[in-house]
Amino acid sequence: MSLVALQSVTPFPDAITKFLGLSGIGGQIVGALIGAFLVGNLLLIYSAIAGPWAKRKITAAFTDRIAVNRIGPFGLLIIVADAVRLMSKELIVPEGVDRPAWDLAPVILPFSALLGFAFIPLGSGAQLADPQNGLVFVFAIASISSLGVVMGGYASNNKYSLLGALRAVAMNLAYEIPLVVTAASVVLFTGTLQLSAIVQAQSAPLINLGPLTIPSWFALVNPFAFVLFLAANLAEVGRNPFDLSEAPNEIVAGYQTEYGSIYFVLFYLGEFLHIFLGGAIITALFLGGGSAPIAALNVVPGFIWFAIKMWGIFLFTQWCRSAVPRVRIDQMLEIGWKGLLALSFGNLVLTAVIVGVLA
Amino acid sequence: MSLEAPRPTAVGVADDGTVDYDALEDLLGEHVLGRESHVNAEAFVVRPDAVQDVLFALRDEAGFDHLSCVTAQEYEDRFESLYHLTKYDERTHEVGVVVPTSRDRPVSQTAEPVFRTADWHEREAYDLIGIEYEGHPDLRRILLPETWQGHPLGLDYHQDQPQIVPLSEHRNPLEADHVAPEDADTMFINIGPHHPATHGVLHLKAVLDGEQVVDVDPDIGYLHRCEEQMCQHSNYRYQIMPYPDRWDYASAGILNEWAYARAAEDLANIEVPAYAQVMRTFSAELCRIASHLLAVGTFALDVYGDFTAIFMYAMKDRETVQTILEDLTGQRMMFNYLRLGGVVWDLPEPRDDYLAKVRDFLDALPERLAEYDDLMTTNEIFQLRTVDTGVLDPDVAKQYGVTGPVARGSGIDYDLRRDDPYGYYPELDWSVVTQPDGDNFSRIQVRLGEVRQSGRIIGQCLDLLEDWPEDEREIQANVPRTLKPTADTEIYRAVEAAKGELGIYIRSDGTQNPARFKIRSPCFSNLQALPEIAEGELVPDLIATLGSLDIILGEVDR
Repeated sequence: MSLVALQSVTPFPDAITKFLGLSGIGGQIVGALIGAFLVGNLLLIYSAIAGPWAKRKITAAFTDRIAVNRIGPFGLLIIVADAVRLMSKELIVPEGVDRPAWDLAPVILPFSALLGFAFIPLGSGAQLADPQNGLVFVFAIASISSLGVVMGGYASNNKYSLLGALRAVAMNLAYEIPLVVTAASVVLFTGTLQLSAIVQAQSAPLINLGPLTIPSWFALVNPFAFVLFLAANLAEVGRNPFDLSEAPNEIVAGYQTEYGSIYFVLFYLGEFLHIFLGGAIITALFLGGGSAPIAALNVVPGFIWFAIKMWGIFLFTQWCRSAVPRVRIDQMLEIGWKGLLALSFGNLVLTAVIVGVLA
Repeated sequence: MSLEAPRPTAVGVADDGTVDYDALEDLLGEHVLGRESHVNAEAFVVRPDAVQDVLFALRDEAGFDHLSCVTAQEYEDRFESLYHLTKYDERTHEVGVVVPTSRDRPVSQTAEPVFRTADWHEREAYDLIGIEYEGHPDLRRILLPETWQGHPLGLDYHQDQPQIVPLSEHRNPLEADHVAPEDADTMFINIGPHHPATHGVLHLKAVLDGEQVVDVDPDIGYLHRCEEQMCQHSNYRYQIMPYPDRWDYASAGILNEWAYARAAEDLANIEVPAYAQVMRTFSAELCRIASHLLAVGTFALDVYGDFTAIFMYAMKDRETVQTILEDLTGQRMMFNYLRLGGVVWDLPEPRDDYLAKVRDFLDALPERLAEYDDLMTTNEIFQLRTVDTGVLDPDVAKQYGVTGPVARGSGIDYDLRRDDPYGYYPELDWSVVTQPDGDNFSRIQVRLGEVRQSGRIIGQCLDLLEDWPEDEREIQANVPRTLKPTADTEIYRAVEAAKGELGIYIRSDGTQNPARFKIRSPCFSNLQALPEIAEGELVPDLIATLGSLDIILGEVDR
């Protein structure tokens, strides 16, 4: 079965079930598990490349350095070396930490991010579940990660961690509302919360320039909302200028000060998955999901396009990390409540008016 | 003639603009027990219970508003505190106040109410020498641990005796933290000694209300390496010079060496040849550029977080300077390049290649600085973070004896290179950079401006070095192998080091080692102003302020 055949309306797990020639409830469960396994592993591979290798290479490129280049081609085997190094470290549990909250926190972070991917149409029909209200699900699940941060910060019995957790809560309130409201403006256009339908709605041509057809991606239809969402997303994934809950030189990595070894890996894995989830949401909402920028390039499978766009957003967050100063916590809240919130509501009203006039 | 009282600062100034010590003696009246002649200035001997009266009179009537340094020492028959006063407006006006106290009861009145900078200086005197200051608000050890026994620079201190600290002294230093009242709104937090943003081993005891800093108390001494004592055990001619490199070790070595060289040369009446002065000026300004680049880069690190482009760019540019200095001195950090009476050797051969290399760096410098302006001073978020944060009022700065880029960032037009000329600076065309606002942003602007000015100075030095006739390149004066300055001469001399006024006090006793060697570290005084600046700010601004003060713990703790 070719990849093209996967581009059907059949849900991904069902397609797998059919491909394996299974049937019944047992077959569906097997299909679902295999689908989840594939998607989960794809994301884990992305994170493995992003964390120990791509992040270093990208930052190095921004700062005139070379970074990892000793082990393997382009230093790629540093991924293996880092995995061995981090996993073989002793897991130090500080005195007085609040267990089991302390142990649960590092699990919650990657869990919430991975679960979010269940609803994302990753292109080529690779979407594990496509409920009517998929967008709401994604936001609800993605914000569970804040719980992990707060749990970790509070349970660590460390003042720096506590400060980091408090910052995370304050920030979460400040950026989550603009994020959702901006996403709602997309929903106004499409009239549906179903993510596959949102992606589908963006495939219509926006402008026809002879042989070139520019699709109606919402980033092009409503660039204002796109920029707003990008900004709020930087806060969501905690990267400069909004990396306040970590802020290594202020509060010593904040909520993760006391975590080492495999817990540290889990926290970092959660962070990178979160960046990718943010990238995936942006791709699905604003960048036309798995569709090519021009129709002629649609021969390249959709999931590749999706990956390229997602990595593009990752690159953007790393760019900000290298080049933009961190704002102060009070300034962050001001930006969130006074700036982003007002702008996102303005955007929502504007979109409603436009949609009302056009419809 | 007007009948109005003359301007208070006019007291003690003779018609030719020099200090009229007789008029000052009249001003102080019966407080004066005697007069001493130091090489740099006259000093008045006063009673231990009249310190504040004398200092108030000198500050308010005669305009001596800068307590540059407090030196304490022990003689066979007495303890002595020596206050070095000068003026921010007129650096060449100096006066000393000598306060002898008996060996049986070394108690002297504190100068803290007059000059707040005396707080730390007197704590250091108490710590190392053992003089007690009556009325001092917080007289505890500052460099050594609380449990230390004896005062190491005192005469009867037994150097070889091990420190035996009883178990009871090793109580939990955090104990006070645990007894905080249950309903307290504030939180005590230790920032450092291991913290990414303290630029060394500094411990800030901070009390926070939420994220707001209510109180902060710098705890220093983690890097105390007995530098003064080591200098006292070394001879003037050869052995002391390597030590200054280790005070402010962030590439400012030659600037520090110059402080010692200047003091020792004036003490021993050594004339430095003009060519050597050019070489000194040239190499010292290279050090200043390297040091300021590091300061700017690490400040960016504090504000931006993570290893950012600016930090790496600054390190890269500093590396260029570092290479130039390495070619010149043979060392990357611990240059040991100056000698009494000159410098150790001439420019490396081939001379033209070396000069061309420096010229290349200078030619590229404006472009590099424009890039820093793009990345920092014109960046809106950077401005959001730094403008109006960490504001240091000029009056407060003077109270704390703040000098260097920090003082100039507060609008205090004070630069020893111009105000107390030395080296080849008076012959060169350059200007002092000041900024009026006193915030973190101003301090960074001052540093970037000073890099520009240092570039100008180096450019002119290069012209001089290129054109200097080959047979007149005298790099060292003729200095005797064994240097024994006249007994009982005292001198306090300062230079403009990377962080401010780096002063050296030397008292000779006729041997080839100094009897007392005191280092006035600019970072020490600048850091002391931190609580004043940071209280009421948020934690991120405390970190940024600390970064903009640009302290090097090696120089704070010595």
